[in-house]
Amino acid sequence: MELMKLEIVTPNGVIFDAEVKQVTLPGSEGEFGVLANHASLVSLLDTGVIVIEKSDSSELAVAINSGYVKVEEEKTTCIVDGAVALSGNDSELAKALEAAKELLKSTEASNAAIASAVSKVEQIGKSF
Amino acid sequence: MANLKEIKRKIGSVKNTQKTTNAMKLVSSAKLKRTEELAKRSRVYAAKLTELIEEIAQKMQQSSAEGIDNIYFKESKDVKNVDIIFITADKGLCGGFNSQTIKRANLLIAEYKKQDVKVRLRAVGRKGIDYFKFNNVELNDEIIGLSAAPDFKQAAEFISKVAESYVNGETDKIILVHNGYVNMITQEIKQDQILPVDTSKLELNSVATSELEVEPDDDDTLLDALVKRYVEYTMYYSLINSLAAEHSARMQAMDAATTNAKEMVKELTVKYNKARQESITTELIEIISGMESMK
Repeated sequence: MELMKLEIVTPNGVIFDAEVKQVTLPGSEGEFGVLANHASLVSLLDTGVIVIEKSDSSELAVAINSGYVKVEEEKTTCIVDGAVALSGNDSELAKALEAAKELLKSTEASNAAIASAVSKVEQIGKSF
Repeated sequence: MANLKEIKRKIGSVKNTQKTTNAMKLVSSAKLKRTEELAKRSRVYAAKLTELIEEIAQKMQQSSAEGIDNIYFKESKDVKNVDIIFITADKGLCGGFNSQTIKRANLLIAEYKKQDVKVRLRAVGRKGIDYFKFNNVELNDEIIGLSAAPDFKQAAEFISKVAESYVNGETDKIILVHNGYVNMITQEIKQDQILPVDTSKLELNSVATSELEVEPDDDDTLLDALVKRYVEYTMYYSLINSLAAEHSARMQAMDAATTNAKEMVKELTVKYNKARQESITTELIEIISGMESMK
């Protein structure tokens, strides 16, 4: 499977920068997935969860509050205001989950959007 | 003898001052390192955001004949009201750091007054606020504590008040004056036009991007959101930049003060030794002449 570059940038720096297989993004008009060689696209991102399928096929979830994404054929750049990566061992993950929920609830997005994002985060917590 | 004691006391007090300034220098250099790191990390975000705005703006420019038709980009021909935001430090003891910003703000005010433009001042940082209050200049908005510890939320809140009045038409132009960090020994006053977005600074002539898809399918909505974020972020970044400049300015000032104190201690010590020698000589002469007279 072809790989593409994914970068996630927050005001506090670059938090993710690697080659990935696929990424699913919470666009403002609906969730969408991006593979390599996707047509150029710019979209607003809503409160939600970015799901990344890494080059070794493992999945990584990143909760975000809001931002933008710029998709180019070889590279996808997410510019987000706040992000929490849901990864690490059990205790780290538990902390990350809490932080993610906090982050999601602090946004101005509609309740439905927050609720769906929070439930997604919880699901990820259970699946680990 | 009183002279000797006095000099000794002076040496002690200068030495104490030297200790304080040296400590302040060390603190500032540690803080500078941290702030520099922060600035470095946030620079990436700013660069990406600007890139994105450039692309959208370029797309809009290509699709319509009259250029970019967006309130944030439209340069008002008849500027009547200007908002000037300036960032100073909350604390002093940093050389010409604060006075330079104030000087530039004053210069701008005078310039606009000549053109019959109404100026509204918005101050960040205690030093600037104190100065203008002392001179009975009205401040439209003020905030203390933000320049010492930049916080994105607070910065965004502060700037969105200004941005709102721009959208409402209360003001035609927003200018930000602040100190910028260049390197350890140089600071530079920066004067940025926040709104309308200065298109001359954007690179709008790179590759054609008319194929760019945009979601939601309305360039304006996206651009509005982007510009809002851009403005907020510019404010935040300027605060960080100003803080880095403040620390480097303070480091320099304190370094100079420490050197001066060192020199002063040297001078005073020479003076002290001279005075001591003098008193010994006098005493000796007294003793000798006393002995002579006893013979």
